[in-house]
Amino acid sequence: MNVIAAVKAYVLKMTEESEPGMKVLLMDKETTSVISMVYGQSEIQQKEVFLLERIDSPNYSNSSGLRYLKCLVFLRPTQQNIEALCTELRNPKYGAYYIYFSNIIAKADIKVLAEHDEHEVVKEVQELYMDYLAVNPHLFSIGLSTCMNSLQWDQGALQRSVQGIISLLLSLKKCPAIRYQANSRLCKDLGTRIDEIMSKESSLFAFGQNSQPLLLILDRRDDPITPLLNQWTYQAMVHELLTINNNRVNLSNVTGVSKELSEVVLSAEQDTFYAKNIFMNYGEIGTNIKQLMDQFQAKAKSHQKIESIADMKCFVEAYPQFKKLSGNVTKHVTVVGELSAMVTKYHLLDVSEVEQEISSQNDHSSHLHSIKKLLNNEKVRSTDAAKLVMLYALRYQNHSNNDLTGLIELLKKRGVSDRLLRHIVNILEYAGSHARQSDLFNVENAVKITKRFIKGLSGVDNVYTQHKPLLHDTLENLVKGRLKDQLYPFIGNHFSNGRPQDIIIFIIGGATYEESLTVHSFNKNYPSFNILLGGTTIHNSASFLEEVEQATRNVPRKHTRNIRNIRFD
Amino acid sequence: MAEANTIQEGFLCPMCHKDLRSPNNLIVHFQDLHSEEQDILKSIKDIYDKYYLEYSDPQEPGPTRSHTDYFRAVRRERLDHRTTETNKLIIRLDRLLRFYGSDRKQQEQELVTWVEGYLVSRCPACTLPFNIARRQHHCRLCGSIMCNSCSYFLPYEIAQTIVAPVNNGSDREPATGKEGDNLRICNHCWNMLDCRRRVQIEQMKQPIICQLYSHLQKNKFHIQNTVDMYEKMYNSLVSGETTYLLQDLQSLRTTIADKAQMIDTLSKKIALLPVDPGMPKAAALQNNIRKATSVYIKDYLLTLSAPPTVQELEKIKRNRSIGVVEDDIPTPKPSIKKVTVTTGWSPANVTNETTVVEENDPLLEQMNIVRNYIDQARKAQRFEEVASLQENLQLLKKMYREQQKEEYGKK
Repeated sequence: MNVIAAVKAYVLKMTEESEPGMKVLLMDKETTSVISMVYGQSEIQQKEVFLLERIDSPNYSNSSGLRYLKCLVFLRPTQQNIEALCTELRNPKYGAYYIYFSNIIAKADIKVLAEHDEHEVVKEVQELYMDYLAVNPHLFSIGLSTCMNSLQWDQGALQRSVQGIISLLLSLKKCPAIRYQANSRLCKDLGTRIDEIMSKESSLFAFGQNSQPLLLILDRRDDPITPLLNQWTYQAMVHELLTINNNRVNLSNVTGVSKELSEVVLSAEQDTFYAKNIFMNYGEIGTNIKQLMDQFQAKAKSHQKIESIADMKCFVEAYPQFKKLSGNVTKHVTVVGELSAMVTKYHLLDVSEVEQEISSQNDHSSHLHSIKKLLNNEKVRSTDAAKLVMLYALRYQNHSNNDLTGLIELLKKRGVSDRLLRHIVNILEYAGSHARQSDLFNVENAVKITKRFIKGLSGVDNVYTQHKPLLHDTLENLVKGRLKDQLYPFIGNHFSNGRPQDIIIFIIGGATYEESLTVHSFNKNYPSFNILLGGTTIHNSASFLEEVEQATRNVPRKHTRNIRNIRFD
Repeated sequence: MAEANTIQEGFLCPMCHKDLRSPNNLIVHFQDLHSEEQDILKSIKDIYDKYYLEYSDPQEPGPTRSHTDYFRAVRRERLDHRTTETNKLIIRLDRLLRFYGSDRKQQEQELVTWVEGYLVSRCPACTLPFNIARRQHHCRLCGSIMCNSCSYFLPYEIAQTIVAPVNNGSDREPATGKEGDNLRICNHCWNMLDCRRRVQIEQMKQPIICQLYSHLQKNKFHIQNTVDMYEKMYNSLVSGETTYLLQDLQSLRTTIADKAQMIDTLSKKIALLPVDPGMPKAAALQNNIRKATSVYIKDYLLTLSAPPTVQELEKIKRNRSIGVVEDDIPTPKPSIKKVTVTTGWSPANVTNETTVVEENDPLLEQMNIVRNYIDQARKAQRFEEVASLQENLQLLKKMYREQQKEEYGKK
């Protein structure tokens, strides 16, 4: 179950099926992202695709054509796309068309298209199921920045998620049993819709599978903590502090960055250093980047002394690799440099330590004290300060000595914006204790205390990575066959038949890179299981708070009436 | 013993028969627990590398569903109608071109019935009413009525090319009508004819970029084959095998360099083709072809590992032979493979004069022939064949030696 390989295989099929010749690839906004997640431009050029076009760009229809090109069309089967394609076929710009849809398409739409193909330019019409973004081999996203309105499914987002997951299942040849988080209507709705389509398209879903895989649908609201925390593994950290968007990181705000580095691509497929360090923690990356630098300098030095013809020959032969390496080194040095600058500037280590303690220990008075101390620290960013208060609010929502009011006053004194203050209320409405079914903070039970002792003795426990996302427990239960049927019931008339080996987790409301790391280590520790993680999007704290804001907009305050010093006007 | 009878499958450790489920796990497991068995580890790695190249990287694509047949069926239904209509028009046009003389109008009306004038009060194209100023006209091809400004006048010369696009009216009487004469036809008929004409023109012309590009691709394809061969020979050489010769590897490398030069020049030519300023896409296309080619040369051709020097090769060979002695594993004798000529190449008829006629010994004769083959194969850079021919030669030599020994024994 490797989503990157699955998408790559489809793209390869698409480029190879269409006979040799110069090609243009015509896409829409979303399919462009799908492809760009797995193929770089120079890579796709090696497949004879020399031009990339967007059918939904405003000046596409007036642009000139090149009749000697073959056109690969890769579109989502939406109404707009069908219409645009009809216009295109009536006045074809290219010599031949190979049409691929990223998902199941209605027969009626094929008919409409066929009726517009008066010039007989269409050679092929196919469905290739890749209607999702493949982020890492075990991680995918639908690419929906928000999916809820008034704490209900946004209908468009529901439809899009159903399509995304259906295409995912098809691309991996899985016909799973579906379980969902019992207290969430959203999970049930999504599961039911997927189940309906699977039975409607039963001929497509007829795979000879040895054991039945499992699709487990979860709701972000069961674990609102994970997306709020500062992260210390490379990928997660870059996303939290610099934001990764379709494998691209915008560095244009970094001071003194050269023009070619204003946007860098971080793709584990093309960048071995990144691939190796994606799950390494901050300290290890420091060491590794130093190694990379040393390696590079050694190479650079050997290139400096070119004395004989043989040296010259060596240089010419090694130069392309050298240049590649040099680009890579600059990229990572810039990124890591920026990360470390931010860590120092905003005292992120101090912030993170408190975050971790709140999320995984139980000591109200000392936590309150540490938060207050940080709130008085001028260097801590307002967002980090507000997030600390949010964590506190979630953690001690029902604690008898809850002093949220006092903390909010402190935030106000710091001049934290009203919007950030309102996020505190929003997140409680979104995922307060009323919305959760799991015991998110049951952190200090007997088993765990002993575990902590053992860990503490061996001295491996890192204070910045104490927190384990709720998903960790869920997976542990699942792997051991202990996931309760009442809490995670099956859809339809499926029943529990042993422990599934292939598990697909989907989180409505977005997954995080911390959870991706959890899944990655599970796959490593339990080689007989194969776990894939997906979400409506991949969140960092900023994007998560935006989603929460959108989801709770116009929702009357039910659970936060006691917080009187934050008002919505 | 029961275990010995069950057949296990999967990524099994050759030492402890544990299923590790993935090649990576297997290698890690082996490195951790059986680090002393370096040979086996290497062979596992090799197998994995091959597996990785062949199966894992281009993972088999998921299912697809084709709608092409349905699409074609719907399209055919519609286009059949259109094609017959167009063909009808062309037959009529052909006959119209043969008409001449005073009764042309009558002949025209016999060919297709003209719509009665009183039935049509407005021009169907522009919906304006007919009157003395705006008179009715008939389309000569379908007989329908339109006004003068909505008529299209098809020049005879063009009509000729539509009827017979190839032999441009050479064997038919060139001027059936007067020079510069036109046929009045309606917009609808013109569209149908024009559409067909454009398709024919497209089919005939092939822009220069296409020719250059197909040339480029052909060369690239050849290079790829050579590169594959190069890598195979290189790997064989550096692992100490004697299947291929160093000099062959070097000459192959020169060939690759020459070819790389060639595609470089070709792609430059494409990039420099003149572009119509109104076609920014064509310029982008040409530049991208150039870019892709230089990336290809940089990433795939210049990164080829340089052939080892003679000294290095000696060292490798020595290390290998030491390793073999230490392990004391008798290497299985390679079975003689037949020379399989895959792509229709075969040594040109060996002229028998070159072989020494006095040699009565059929073995010696055979050996000479094989030597000859090897030379030719090398010239054609068929190193696969060189290798298997070499093997044959070795065997022949061995047989010859044994034969000699036997003869001495007899004497």
